[in-house]
Amino acid sequence: MDTRGTEPVIIDVDRICKTFANGVAALDHFSTKIRRSEVVVVIGPSGSGKSTFLRCLNGLEEIDAGTITIDGIPLDHSKKNRLEIRKEVGMVFQAFNLFPHMTVMDNITLAQTLVRKKSKAEARQTAMELLTKVNIPEKADCYPDQLSGGQQQRVAIARALAMRPKIMMFDEATSALDPEMIGEVLDVMKTLAREGMTMVVVTHEMGFAREVGDWVIFMEGGRIVEEGAPAHFFTAPSQERTRLFLSQIL
Amino acid sequence: MINKVSTALKRHRVLDIVGFLAVVSAILWVVVKGAENQGYHWQWFRLPPYLIQWTEGRPVFGPILRGLAVTLNITWISLILTYAIGLVTALLRLSSSFIGRLVARVYLETARNAPLLVQLYFIYFIIAPVLGIERLTAAVLALSLFEGAYASEIYRAGIVSIHRGQWEAAHSLGLSTWHSYRHIILPQAIRRVLPPLTGQAVSLIKDSSLVSVLAIYEMTMQANAIVSQTFLVFEIYFTIAAIYLALTLALSRLVNRMEQRFKLEH
Repeated sequence: MDTRGTEPVIIDVDRICKTFANGVAALDHFSTKIRRSEVVVVIGPSGSGKSTFLRCLNGLEEIDAGTITIDGIPLDHSKKNRLEIRKEVGMVFQAFNLFPHMTVMDNITLAQTLVRKKSKAEARQTAMELLTKVNIPEKADCYPDQLSGGQQQRVAIARALAMRPKIMMFDEATSALDPEMIGEVLDVMKTLAREGMTMVVVTHEMGFAREVGDWVIFMEGGRIVEEGAPAHFFTAPSQERTRLFLSQIL
Repeated sequence: MINKVSTALKRHRVLDIVGFLAVVSAILWVVVKGAENQGYHWQWFRLPPYLIQWTEGRPVFGPILRGLAVTLNITWISLILTYAIGLVTALLRLSSSFIGRLVARVYLETARNAPLLVQLYFIYFIIAPVLGIERLTAAVLALSLFEGAYASEIYRAGIVSIHRGQWEAAHSLGLSTWHSYRHIILPQAIRRVLPPLTGQAVSLIKDSSLVSVLAIYEMTMQANAIVSQTFLVFEIYFTIAAIYLALTLALSRLVNRMEQRFKLEH
């Protein structure tokens, strides 16, 4: 772990367990530490628990055992605590989940005014800056269904960034996109990584993992099978299971 | 080709209208014949004074239109209450509070499974004296509680039809449950259930005729009174039926317009 830089640990996950009502154990004593400004890429076959891991980090799923500490605040699932955590952790979903009855602008300003208590004007200014950053400032007054998938996902990223989170999570953010739109979303994610955003990325884009990731975690059955720096992980994995998975996906 | 299709469509239209007229004439024939067989004398000329009377050269509402005013009054207050009660009940049923869900459940089962007539009597004779409320208030309360139960199921269906991802997105941005409902879930859900909610309003208009049992002089009660004095059974009842129909049709049209507008918005 000491090879992962000297930045302070911002996400500390200690032996968390999560079993769903149907008896499936999604996380089985899962532990990891993520440092500030790190880009951690989580890969694994479907059902391996990688999305559940992300959803536990911002309290969308409640853990059965273990502890999660985010920027020094332990998650305790009280309302107040959840709100505090969610303000610091932005999330981007596979299905975008934009609010279809609101314009792009309203999608981005809503939480700023309600949660961060910003003024309308201030929120709009932030929204325009972020829309410029994700390269679609001209779409501010459109509704989500007037945008392409790639544009919608970029709006979703802007919406999460508007809360000025310390951590950004991406849950298969490019999986629902047409191939020609994946690049534009990955480009935005790369920019964020370069700017020093702490990112936890669940993805099947191995190119992204290799190019941008600081650390790769390969999960199966709710546990870490293997982890390491991408250069080493992709060229010389030590586990047979990892080799098999990589040979299937690459 | 296009010409052929358009003539076919036109012919179709004409056939439709002819068919419609045929059905209407058949119904009218049955009614007239049925009345004749009972030895009924049509006296439509006696109807107008019950709608509008002229005193000192000025038009004054006759009993039917005065009744209509009472019906409208009861209906719009009950409608607002129905929608409010329905929404609150739906939210309670979906809440995480056990007591909230229990209260909602007991209310729903009672209101939906007892006849409206019994509920009207119950509220008028048992609840109203305790609360010290008057006849009209009791009627409005009974109607709203009855229709509110159905409205709540409509709201609930709308709310649960909204994709889970909307909740997750709202929560992940730090929105509270209340803010998520207010800004994300309800605006989408209500848009979806607007047509069945209108259906509920139509039911309310029709069911408001039942409050005549509490001797409230709304339109049906006025009609009953006129009929018992004049025996103009068909003339009076057909007239108020037509008025009810006009009301409910106007309401449906209004909501159709609203739906179109919402759709155009994005």
